[in-house]
Formats: sequence, C-alpha cells, structure tokens
Amino acid sequence: MNGHITLNDSPQDINLPDFIVKWVDVGIFVVNKKMEVTLWNNFMCNHSGLGADAIVGKNLFECFPELPKAWLSKKILGVFLLKNFAFTSWEQRPYLFRFPHNRPITGGVDHMYQNCTFMPVKGAAGEVDSVCITLFDATDIGISQTALKKAMKSLSDSSNRDGLTGIYNRRYLELRLSAEFDRCRRYRDQFSFVLFDLDHFKRINDTYGHLAGDEVLRVVSSHINSLLRSVDVMGRYGGEEFGIILPATPMQSALILAERIRLAIEQAPVAYKGISIPVTVSIGIAEFEPDVPNYEHLIGCSDRALYHGKENGRNQVTCYTPELESKTASS
Amino acid sequence: MSAMQLTEDQRDAMQEITNIAMGQAGSLLAELLGNFVNLSVPRIKVLALAEVARAIRDMVGSDIDVTAVRQSFQGYLTGEALVIYGQNGCTELGDLMGYDEELDRSEETELLLDVSNVLVGACLGGIVDQIKNLTEAHGTAELGFSAPSVMAESVPADALINPDKLSWTHALLVEVNFTLEGRNFISHLCMLMPEHSIEKMCSILDRFVESY
Repeated sequence: MNGHITLNDSPQDINLPDFIVKWVDVGIFVVNKKMEVTLWNNFMCNHSGLGADAIVGKNLFECFPELPKAWLSKKILGVFLLKNFAFTSWEQRPYLFRFPHNRPITGGVDHMYQNCTFMPVKGAAGEVDSVCITLFDATDIGISQTALKKAMKSLSDSSNRDGLTGIYNRRYLELRLSAEFDRCRRYRDQFSFVLFDLDHFKRINDTYGHLAGDEVLRVVSSHINSLLRSVDVMGRYGGEEFGIILPATPMQSALILAERIRLAIEQAPVAYKGISIPVTVSIGIAEFEPDVPNYEHLIGCSDRALYHGKENGRNQVTCYTPELESKTASS
Repeated sequence: MSAMQLTEDQRDAMQEITNIAMGQAGSLLAELLGNFVNLSVPRIKVLALAEVARAIRDMVGSDIDVTAVRQSFQGYLTGEALVIYGQNGCTELGDLMGYDEELDRSEETELLLDVSNVLVGACLGGIVDQIKNLTEAHGTAELGFSAPSVMAESVPADALINPDKLSWTHALLVEVNFTLEGRNFISHLCMLMPEHSIEKMCSILDRFVESY
C-alpha cells in the first residue's frame, strides 16, 4: 500500500504519531466545520473501501449518503459549539458506518458494532477547528453481551416459571408481591391480590387420573392468564392454588375481573382425551391497605376470603373484610 | 475526617469557579437547545462517602424514583460525574433535543446519555478552563472523558449509591439544578472525586484565592 512503513526504515525517517494514526486498529477520521473530511486512516479505508485520496477534501455526507445526516451533523456541530467530547455506543446505535465485520464465519451479526468518540480539535486560540472521530470495533463485545443477555434471560425464565403450567412459580410471585407491596406503600398507590383454588381438584384426579388433573391445571391457568392485563402477574401458589397481583386495582374492579374469571372457567369444561371435565374455581380477594403490616398478611387475608367461599359452597368470589374474621372465628 | 473539609475561602473560590462555569454552560446549552436554561447557584460540599447517599436523597427527594447516568473524567482531575433525573425528568427530552417522532427505548437511552454528556462536559470544561491559568507548574490542565453509561434506571433515590461497593472515602459534591424555561426538565449534577483529586483541587483553590 502507498506509504507503507516497514521496520527497516530508520527511526528519524518515521513520524511516529503519523505512523500510529495510520496503522492503529481503530478507525480515525477528522472533519472540519463544512463537514469535509481532512483525515481518513487505514482502518477507515480498509473497511469502507474508500481510500484517503478518494475522500479527503470531500463532504462526508456526499461520500456516504446512507449516514443519518440530520442526527450526525447535529452531533458534530454540538462538539464544535460546546468544545466537548461526545460519544455513541453500539448498545443504542449499533453502527455509524455500515461496515462488514471481520467475523464472517463466527459472527451471527450483520455489521460491525461500533463505539465512537467525537473529540474537539482545538487550535492555538482555543477555538475548535475540527472534530476527530474514533471508531472502535465493538463486534466481539456485542456478540458476547448479546449471548450473555440471552443466557441470563433463559436462566431467569427457568427459575421463575412453574414447570407444569409455564406460568410464574411461587418464589417469583412472592418476589413481585413483595415489590408491589413496597411500591404501593411508598407511593400510596393501591393494588389487589387474588387467590383462587380449583374446586374438588382431588376428585378430578381420583376420577380421571393424574394426567387429566395436570391437563386441567395447564388449561385453566393459561385460560385465566389470557383474561389478564399485561401488567397483572399470575403465579402458581401451591398444588391447585394460584395467585394474581392486580396493580393499580381497587377491590371493586378486582371483583369484576374475578367474577369474569369464575364464569369463564365454569363455562369452559376442560377437554381431555374425548372427555369433558367440568371445572369451577373459588376466589378470594384482598386489597392493599396502608396499615397491612406485610405482604404475607395480605396473602393471609385473601386466603381467609377464599376459605370462606369454600365453606359457603364453592364456585364463588369472596372479598376479604375484617368482619370475615369474626364470622370464621364464630363458625 | 476533618482534614477533608474545605476552608471557607476554598469553598467561596469553588463556588465562584462553578458559578462561572455553569453560567457558560447555561448559555451554550441555551444555544444548542434553542431554549432558555435556568441554572441554580451550585452548592458545594465535601462529604464522607456514607453521607453522599443521604445528600443525594435530600436534593432529589426521598419518595421518587430516579434514573442516573455516570461518566468518568480523567487527566488533571479524576473522578466520576453523576447526572440524576427525577421520574419525570426525561419525559420531554426527545422534544427538547429536536427529535420529531416517538422515541423507542434505545433512542431514549441514547438521548439521555447525550444530554448527560453535554451537561457534564459543559460544567467540567468550564471549571478546567478557569483553573488552567493557575496550574502552569503542573503543565496544561486538560480533561479526557470516557463514554457515559446508564448507572441505574427508576430506582429509589436512596438506593443509588451503595457505600459498601465503593472504595473512595470522600467526595466533592457539586449540586447544580438545571431547569428549562417552560419545560418539565430538572436534573442534578454531582461530581465525585477521590481524595487525591480533592487535595489537588484544594491547592488550586488556594492559588485562586491568592490571585485576587
């Protein structure tokens, strides 16, 4: 290549900084206020396919019409104006220039991920004459970060999910309940907690077998899950017992939803190997109150309401009230 | 540690330097954003690390969630700058920075990093510009910046800094509030410097006082 410097050159013939800028494995280029390129190093030549002689003196955006002009020129002008460093990261903007990366076989990504730094080049008077942009190849970091994120997600999914039904497990449900409890206490917000239980589940197991029972759990939990909003969190609390966190929901609204759930389950018997298995649920609701000492207490309240519904004939929704305590105690 | 207290003179000098720096920062920001920028008079404190969390909670408010961006600076002074936004602090950023469309999540983050970088650079750049003349003996006073990153998103203010995880014992807290005219945008800037940088800063401040 033109101007190639070899180690045989005697040191006094080499301008060391020039050598480094030219050959370092980092993209370096400089633009002036008119967005004309005044320096373009080998990294930029090799990856763009445009040599320094083809681009130096020309307008950056005319040479690369695919660059996001409005955004990039604003960014560069900001550096001129503020005399300040500026940055872009591959995490938000994968690349500035659409360069191929050097991992054609092992990559799995389309283009070179880039981290860029924009540096103000100050003249003797302290004015910014031009902006120097360095471009680091972040493809390796990007690929391993992406793989890591994926692995972390599947790990957290498997530790948060119930193996049979695929909805959240008890550990995760309690984690979210505890967080929602703290959040509502902090911001004086409201939410409701719903606990429900499949009626006579033991009878289903005994009559149709455990595989049928498993199918009933799967179908009913996914049916109920489909009736919820995206902010609601449903998890399997125990054997045939499930909990639902309803953020920003007072008791009255929770009651409407619970009644809808109860009716939907009653009207949709579960089909298993040609048999239709009728299922009903009993539902207990408790509403967050600022004076409830902890989230466990709230679960206790919804459980008390659920128990009351069971005693009262099942297939019904019961809201927790303090009067329930005396009723239960006296009965 | 009483050795780390600023004298009254030093504090006044720091206040003066930061005032001027923020004044310049404000007019540059106004030019960039095409909007009038209100900057509060900075408040200066040297704090033991254990007190920093409380100081941040006091300035932001204890019952709101915050998002924070960190950026390190190195060179004549070394440390980290935090830009802290209240829950609603970022809502109008897109509009403010001339983005027309709705922003997706990574565009929002990019914008947050951009604005933070501008605030930190303008403030620290302004400070270094003024102390430059006082530091001939030490060579040129220049700062390099590394890329900013999001430190925390929507966490309670008191969970932002965990003293157990930091090795520094003291920090210089420069508290500046930015408000944009007619806009819902407030942010807090806070500079944390390790002791050796604070000591260096103190000797510069002494020279600043003498130069008057």
